[in-house]
Amino acid sequence: MVMKMNVKTSLKAIEKRTYISYHQDGLIDIFVGVYVLLFGLGIFLRTLEDFSTWFVIPAIFPAVMVPIWVSAKKRITMPRIGYVKFGGRGANKLMAVFIGLLVAGLGAFMVFSFASSQGWALTVRNLIASNGMMIIGIAAFALSSLFAYTMGLNRLYAYGLLALVLFLAGRFIAFPFEYILLTIGLAVIMNGFVLLIGFIRKYPLPQGDETNVEKSL
Amino acid sequence: MSKNPSNLKNIDRLIHEPTRLMIMTQLYVVESADFLFLQNQLQLTPGNLSAHLSKLEEAGYVEIVKEFIERKPHTALKLTKKGRNSFKEYQQNLKQIFSDLPK
Repeated sequence: MVMKMNVKTSLKAIEKRTYISYHQDGLIDIFVGVYVLLFGLGIFLRTLEDFSTWFVIPAIFPAVMVPIWVSAKKRITMPRIGYVKFGGRGANKLMAVFIGLLVAGLGAFMVFSFASSQGWALTVRNLIASNGMMIIGIAAFALSSLFAYTMGLNRLYAYGLLALVLFLAGRFIAFPFEYILLTIGLAVIMNGFVLLIGFIRKYPLPQGDETNVEKSL
Repeated sequence: MSKNPSNLKNIDRLIHEPTRLMIMTQLYVVESADFLFLQNQLQLTPGNLSAHLSKLEEAGYVEIVKEFIERKPHTALKLTKKGRNSFKEYQQNLKQIFSDLPK
């Protein structure tokens, strides 16, 4: 029984390590950071004055950014660490993240479109502005933790914790909502770039020898 | 199962070799991977990896799939059904041997 558990744990650990190695390039961090930053910028620049239109971003963003992210993976990551196809759980995890973002965005868009049409938007806005910081902070931490657990990326816990701390601080020291989003977005993007630079240094583009050996197979 | 050390005979020696065991394990947890990915994950030299992959291919455990990704030729490696079954059997045999050992 113990042996069976150890073998399963070991295979799971190898699977997890393989999955994590594929996301050590920081691209997913940059992707998430830009997502958060766009919210903050939208509010900061007052281009998204109508509350309901905030939720256009999460609805559209995955559709625009996923092809860019996939392309970056193909151009930056795969030539350096190689190509891997995760069957079953691995592939499903990543798909679940994207579908989750898309569904959450569309759902929020629909809810707030409905709220706007009913004239509730201002009430909801006021409610969130006055009392919602803690809720948003906890929700952000819960969401980050969920993705961190699902994807096995521990740094997502840190992002969630950062969001929680900033939103809680924002609640008590009246730190504006958009500044919190901008701070989180920038911090995540910066960490993403640090990881990306480290990744590029650690894995330079392979020379021709490897390719020749691969061709000989 | 008898508590007989001759159970060791059931161990697949082709898989039991440490480097090939690493390759089989790595390919077992993914659907497919290319040569460079395996080389990076397992920290093997190209020649070493190539030699072991050839043995696994000869045994019918590993399939080498030539495909095109965005119009570029690409070589993917994956475990065959025989390879997956052999790996599972290897796991079970090894478990049995250890569970049969006196404590």
